[in-house]
Amino acid sequence: MKRLFRLSLGERGVRRDVSSEIGFHIEMRTRELIEAGVAPDLARAQAIATFGDVDAIEAACRDEQRQRVRARAWRDELDSIVHDVRYALRTLARSPGFTATVLLTLALGIGANSAIFSMVNGVLLRRPAYANADRIVVVEHPSASLGVADLGFSAPEMDDYASQTRSIDAIAEYHSMSFDLLGNGDPRRVQTGVVSADFFKVLGVTPLLGRAFLPGEDQVGAAPVLVLSYRFWVNDLGADPSIVGKTFTMNDRQHVVVGVLPPLPNYPDQNDVFMPISSCPFRSAPHMKTARQMRMVSMVARVAPGATFAAVQREMSAIETRSHGIYPDAFKGVSDAAIKATPLRSAMSQSAQPAFLLLLAVAGLVLIVACANVTHLTLARHLRRQRELAIRAALGAGRGRLLRQLLTESVLLSVVGGALGLLLARAGVGALSNFAARFTSRADDIVLDWRVMLFTLGVAVLAGLVVGIVPAFADSSDLVAHLRDGSATAGGGKVRLRSALVVGEVALAFVVLVGAGLTLRNLSKLLNTNPGYDPQNAVTAQVDLNWTKYNDAPTRRQFANELMARLRSAAGVSVVAVASAFPASSSSPQNRYAFDVRGQLVADTLRRPKAEVNSVSPDYFKVIGTAMQNGRAFTEADRDSAGSVVIVSVSAARKYFAAGDAIGKQVSFDNGTHWLTVVGVASDVRQFGPAADVAEQAYLPYATGSVRDLRVLVRSNASPVFIGNLIRQTVRSLDPQQPVVGIRTLDQARRDAIASPRLTTILLGLFAVLALAIATAGLGGVMAYSVGQRTQEFGIRMALGAERASILRLVLGQGLRIVVVGLVIGGLASRVAAHVIERQLYGVRSSDPLTYAGVAVVFVVVAALACLVPARRATAVDPVSAFKAS
Amino acid sequence: MAGSDLFVGTLDVLILKAVSWGPTHGYAIGRWIRQTTNDGLQVQEGALYPALHRLERKGLLEEEWGVSETGREAKYYKLTSAGRRQLRTEAARWKQYAEAVTLALAADGK
Repeated sequence: MKRLFRLSLGERGVRRDVSSEIGFHIEMRTRELIEAGVAPDLARAQAIATFGDVDAIEAACRDEQRQRVRARAWRDELDSIVHDVRYALRTLARSPGFTATVLLTLALGIGANSAIFSMVNGVLLRRPAYANADRIVVVEHPSASLGVADLGFSAPEMDDYASQTRSIDAIAEYHSMSFDLLGNGDPRRVQTGVVSADFFKVLGVTPLLGRAFLPGEDQVGAAPVLVLSYRFWVNDLGADPSIVGKTFTMNDRQHVVVGVLPPLPNYPDQNDVFMPISSCPFRSAPHMKTARQMRMVSMVARVAPGATFAAVQREMSAIETRSHGIYPDAFKGVSDAAIKATPLRSAMSQSAQPAFLLLLAVAGLVLIVACANVTHLTLARHLRRQRELAIRAALGAGRGRLLRQLLTESVLLSVVGGALGLLLARAGVGALSNFAARFTSRADDIVLDWRVMLFTLGVAVLAGLVVGIVPAFADSSDLVAHLRDGSATAGGGKVRLRSALVVGEVALAFVVLVGAGLTLRNLSKLLNTNPGYDPQNAVTAQVDLNWTKYNDAPTRRQFANELMARLRSAAGVSVVAVASAFPASSSSPQNRYAFDVRGQLVADTLRRPKAEVNSVSPDYFKVIGTAMQNGRAFTEADRDSAGSVVIVSVSAARKYFAAGDAIGKQVSFDNGTHWLTVVGVASDVRQFGPAADVAEQAYLPYATGSVRDLRVLVRSNASPVFIGNLIRQTVRSLDPQQPVVGIRTLDQARRDAIASPRLTTILLGLFAVLALAIATAGLGGVMAYSVGQRTQEFGIRMALGAERASILRLVLGQGLRIVVVGLVIGGLASRVAAHVIERQLYGVRSSDPLTYAGVAVVFVVVAALACLVPARRATAVDPVSAFKAS
Repeated sequence: MAGSDLFVGTLDVLILKAVSWGPTHGYAIGRWIRQTTNDGLQVQEGALYPALHRLERKGLLEEEWGVSETGREAKYYKLTSAGRRQLRTEAARWKQYAEAVTLALAADGK
């Protein structure tokens, strides 16, 4: 037998092989029959007859063969993957410097994305832990003229919406108050969610222990019960497994714990415990049942099967319009009250969305910079490996085979880099969750779940393919050239490509830096705006008086006066005041009321003057350090019948009084029943934090009001901790059961008010540093390579008498050209991209020239430093050895 | 198996035996089986080929194309090392089985 070399693969090959084999058999058999004496014309027919059904047998054979070919293809595939991975591991291990740099770059780039994606995933993508999350609608009652996002609803209004809206099948009410909780240790001030009985049923929450509220438990007369939040149960009660059935005293009544909730988003607020509305002394007051204007609760509803959120909005708006017609008295001053129905999931995350998506976009840019850098590192490595690649190609490795090998290397690197990145992200998730808590009630949902893992894997594989494919294609063009001339100079195209990549890196890093620079400038503007008060050396505390003990104005005033007297007599304290609010104590209007100016009646009730009202004791302005522009501050004499006085802010005076002359004018907050005389005009204060506009304000004497939730303010040069303890001890000496919370300085309050822009700035700053570092490393790498290539040229130049300084200038000039091109492109791109963050800036414009110039300077300086190392090497070239090397 | 009342696996072991002396094409394998068994097994000739392909898929046989004694391109089969091992165990098993059955059939009625 003579052997034939034959490759048979593929369907056509299979068909041909089987037919040929069986044809051979028939032919041989025919021949044998003829030799045995059968007539030649009969022999073939007989041969076929003894063979059997030729077609069926051929089909059976082909089937077997096809299976065999397929199985072998798979095995070959697997073998070659294993081979590629082994080979990749070997070659990567041979260049540990390259491998470590690439892994670090990719780990940082991918890790940043995994971390930010975990926030986006937890807050925007994951389903909240409510079974009915996708069917819940949050209904608000905004009044634009008053600047209030939600007036809330009154009990009769809730009843109307419950009975008249057909697109919902359940409705629940909610409000939150703080109460004292006694029993099981120290007295505690607990934030209490006050809800209708089926609140948890509507949301779809199953208690972890015990039960939720039963129908009827929210009716007046029902036995008082409590449901605990998971956090409170764990943190304050040590996760006591037998807590159900125990009792606590709240508002002088015994409350039995009936259940513990599972971990839930802190929505709408972070509540410690929940009680039915019948237990709330305010909500269960008899007049609440009928008073339409007593709006104090929020509404959530469940959309009926088949109905839409839009239908709820439409129907409820119609009901609202009808109510305005039937009960005009209930809408006095808020005749523009409207209905705003928002799906629960957007209500929970909408304030987080812009910042999170911005961060994700910036993290994406950082990853692109990282990928560009890895690409150009890979190109550089291929230049060094050119011989190896060319030889492999010459030995018969096809272009596809080589490409696969190179892609295997890069994907291997990026997947390992991604895994490292995931570890980085894991380390950062705790901090990010704290960060996110400033924006959303869902911060606890930020975890590294399977979606984050999948995202990371996807990003890693994609990054690996991208950084592998570009150099691979650049290679295939000059492999042949390399083999032909065998020189080290092949790959000029690659050098240009690498420079282009570094230009791109610089441009993108510039965009990231401008973003970070703008938010930083914004933050410093916010911190430097004149707040209108002196935030230094002033400590505040929150003393929410127990309503059962201090149930009328005189007892509250007596407590406050006694507290102020004791604090004033303490060593180191200069001035003391109480008020219902202080600058930056809240971020939005809390007590904004319309008023009338005597002699200037405004017919359109929506256009009546409005002011944020704050009740303050005489020394309030001294404590916060705000001067009177005109008139006087309050005195101890402003009480009882002499207390019909008011102080307005400068902006209120300008806006509502002719020629800004408010002193001596009279205003009324109760439609003319009582008139108050303006005795002073105070400087404007940024009451709602540095980021908010100045609001018109009015101040009433504390002595004429009945403030229950006291804010205590102390000005002193002593340490804030000392003053905080002093306030705590003094309150305790007056009433041992009275909790004191929220001790902080006025400055802390101001900083807390801008915590979210500050945190965004910090994150963007981190990304900017990362992008700058990667781009600079890229530039340094390109310059080092270029200097290496030009050693000979530098040698000649120096032999011809060139100064070291001129060589230095030459190299620096080349590096800076790359940077400048990158900066110009990046500057143009930033102008477009910066519009995205325009909305998050308060103090600066997105085109702020100082930011652009500053970033450019930083870039040029850092880039010059990065070029200096290779440039110095260039000047150290020894002309003689440079010649010898050639 | 079509046109045959062979015990399952018998054809396979005969094929392995037929190729155990070196590369053999399908026709020669069939002829060898016919001649050495004196046509006693009544294998329909065509049934041989699916069996050959099945053994090849299992990795017991491998193919090799060559030129036959009549000068035609033909597919030759040869044993792989797995095939050789299989032949040894199958032959031993067959012998044991046949001896056992023979013994049983030769025994008298007591």
